[in-house]
Amino acid sequence: MSAAAHPPAAILRVSKLRKAFGYHEVLRDISFDIAAGSVVSIIGASGSGKSTLLRCLNYLEEPTAGEIYLNGEPMGFRVKSDGKRVADSAANLGRMRAQIGMVFQQFNLWPHMTAEQNVAEALIQVKGLGKAEASKIAREYLAKVNLLEKADAYPARLSGGQQQRVAIARALAMEPKVLLFDEATSSLDPELTGEVLEVMRQLALEGMTMVVVTHEMGFAREVSNRVIFLHQGVVEEDGPPEQVFGRPTSERCRQFLSSVLG
Amino acid sequence: MSETLRQSLDLSLFWEFRYTLLAGLAQNLYVFACAAVLALALALIVGLARLSANRAVRAVSTVYAELFRNTPEFVLIIWVYYVLPILLSRMLATKFNMSPFLAAVLALGVAYSGFLSETVRAGVQSIPRGHSEAGLSLGMTRFQILRRIIIPQAVRRMLPEALSQFVSLFKATSIVSLIAVPDIMYQVSMINVDQMRPLPLYTGAALLFCLVIIAATQLIQILSDRWRKRGWA
Amino acid sequence: MIDNFNRFVVPNLGLLGEGLWITIWICAVAFAMAVVIGAFACIVRVYVPFLRIVAVIYIEFARATPILVQLLWVNYVWPELFGFPKSVEWAGVIALAIQSSGYLAETFRSGIEGLSRGQVEAGLAVGMPRTTIFRRIIVPQVLLVMAPSIVNQLAVIVKASTLVSVIAIPDLMYDALKIVNQWFEPIEVLTFVAAIYVTTIYTLSASAKFIADRFRVKYGLSTYA
Repeated sequence: MSAAAHPPAAILRVSKLRKAFGYHEVLRDISFDIAAGSVVSIIGASGSGKSTLLRCLNYLEEPTAGEIYLNGEPMGFRVKSDGKRVADSAANLGRMRAQIGMVFQQFNLWPHMTAEQNVAEALIQVKGLGKAEASKIAREYLAKVNLLEKADAYPARLSGGQQQRVAIARALAMEPKVLLFDEATSSLDPELTGEVLEVMRQLALEGMTMVVVTHEMGFAREVSNRVIFLHQGVVEEDGPPEQVFGRPTSERCRQFLSSVLG
Repeated sequence: MSETLRQSLDLSLFWEFRYTLLAGLAQNLYVFACAAVLALALALIVGLARLSANRAVRAVSTVYAELFRNTPEFVLIIWVYYVLPILLSRMLATKFNMSPFLAAVLALGVAYSGFLSETVRAGVQSIPRGHSEAGLSLGMTRFQILRRIIIPQAVRRMLPEALSQFVSLFKATSIVSLIAVPDIMYQVSMINVDQMRPLPLYTGAALLFCLVIIAATQLIQILSDRWRKRGWA
Repeated sequence: MIDNFNRFVVPNLGLLGEGLWITIWICAVAFAMAVVIGAFACIVRVYVPFLRIVAVIYIEFARATPILVQLLWVNYVWPELFGFPKSVEWAGVIALAIQSSGYLAETFRSGIEGLSRGQVEAGLAVGMPRTTIFRRIIVPQVLLVMAPSIVNQLAVIVKASTLVSVIAIPDLMYDALKIVNQWFEPIEVLTFVAAIYVTTIYTLSASAKFIADRFRVKYGLSTYA
C-alpha cells in the first residue's frame, strides 16, 4: 500500500481505466479522483459507458487495464514485495466491497426475505453481527428511509419506490465509505422517483460520498457538486454543475444537454 | 467386476438377435404412432373444450384431463386390457375381445391425451386477446380469426411442449410388453428366458432406448431453437 | 357390482393396505434419494467445470431411459456388476431414484439459471463471499421457485412405482394383480386400486399448484409448475 503517492482525501481513485467487452471498447483511459464528501453525477447518452464505469468502482466489472484504489488500497490485485502484481483473494475483495455500497436500477432486493431481513442480512453474514443486533440496526436504517412500518413486508408487497428505499437502507446499513447509484430511479414510475431522490438528497446533505449515474438532470444540477459527462467511454466534461450545465466546453456535451433538457 | 462389465457390454448377443429385436422396436414405433394420433385427436377436442363458454363442457373436459393426467399409465393399461372388455361385453351384450395391441394404443392414447390437452389449452390461451380483437375490428368472422390467426400461432407455441410429450409417450411404450405386446422389451425378456444372459440384454436395451430418446430430444431442441430464432414459438 | 366389491375388495383390504404401505415407503425413500442425487448432479454440472460432462451423461441417461427398463437393469444387472442391490425392494427404490434424479437435476438447474444476475450482484456488492451467496440467496430462491415442480416429481414417482410390481415387489399394484389372478374378477379390485392411485396423485399435483399460487402471491416469484 503506497500511501505516499495518493492524497488521503481521495476515497476513490480511478487510474487509466480501460474496459473492453471482446473487441468493443467501452471505457477508454479514464482517470479521476473522488474526494470524501463529494457528490458526483455521471451523465451521458446510452452506451456511453456510465454504468460500466460505476460497476468497475466496486469491481462488479473487472477492468481490462488500469487500476481502482479505495482509500489508497488497490482493488482486485495486490502488489507483492518484489513489485509483481498478483490477483487478490475473494475474501479481500469482499472486504473492500463491504466498504462500498451500491444501489441498483432493478433494486435487486431478495424476494424471499422481508424488508428488515434484506437490510440485516449482510450485517449478519458479512459483519458477523448477531440476529438481534442486526435487526435493531436494520430497523434504524429503515426508519431513516421512512419505511419502518414496512419492516416485515416482503418485497412483492412494496411499490417500486419503496423497494428502492429499502435497497438504499440495505446499502447504508453497512456504513460504507462511498455509495454508488446505478440509475437508481430509471425503473420507477415518474410519481415514485420523487421519494427516492429525496432520500438521496438527504444523504448528500449529510455528507455521504456518492457517485450517481443518472438521467435525472435536476438532481445532477441541484444536488451534486461535481458532474462528469461521459461520451463513448471518454470523459469529455468534468466540473461543478454550473460549469457543465451552463458553460460546457465539449460540443457533444452541449448536444446531449440540449436533447435531454429540450 | 471387470469380467461382468465386459459381459454386460458384450453386445454381440444383440447383434445375433438383431432381427427379432428390430421387429420388437418396430412394434414400439407402431404402438407409438397409433397412440400419438389418438392422443392428439382427443387432446384437440378436450383442450379446446376447456376453453368453451359452456360451463358444463368446461367442467367435463377438466375432469377428463385431470383424471388421465393423474392416472399411472400402467394402471390404465391393465384396466383397459382386463376391465374394459368385460364392461363392454356386458353393455353391448356381445363377447368383446380386446387385443393387447388395441388395449395398449387405447390406454396410452387416452393417458397422453390428458397431458396434451393441457398443452393445447395453454397454447391457445397464450395468444393475447388483442389479436382476436384486432381481427374483429377489421371485420373478420370468428371462424376466420380462428383459422388464420389463432390456430397457426397456437400450433407454433404448442409444438416444443407437444413434441416433448410425444417423446415421453414413446418412452411409455416400453410397458406394453407387460400385456404381451411383442415389443422390444418383450423380445428381450423372451431371449433372456432362452439364453439366460440378462447382463448384455438389459444393458443393451437400456442403451438402445437411451440413444433413441436422446437423439429425439436433441432433434427437438435444435428445431425449437431454430423456430424460436425465427420468431415462431 | 357392489356385491362383488364386498366379495373381493373388502376381505382383501388388509393385503391391499400392506401393499399401499410398501408403495408409500418406496416412494418416500426414492424421492428423498432423488432430491439428494439430483441436487448433487446439478451442482456438479453448474459449478464443477471439469466434471460437467460426467454429470451431463448421468442426467441424460437417467431421463432418457424408461423406468421399466431401468428397473429391470438395476434389478438384474447391478447385483452382478456391483454386488448390490441385495433385495428387489432396494432395486425398485434405486431405479425410481435414478429416474427422478435426472428430472430434479434439470429442475434445479433451470431454477439456478433462471435467477436474475442482479440477485447475486446485490450479494457481491455488500461483500458477501460466493459460498454465502449460494447458501443464503440462491438455494432458498431455487427451492421456492421450483417447489411445485419438485412436488410434482413426487407425483411422478408414485405413478412410476406401479411398475415395481414387475420385479415382484409386493406393492399396491402387485397385490391388486395377485387378487385379480386369483379370482378372475378384475373390475372392482382394479377400479378400486386405480381410484386410490388417482386420488393420491391428484392430491400431490393439486398441492403443487397450490404452493405455486401461494408463493407467487407472497414472494412475487413466477413459478413454472
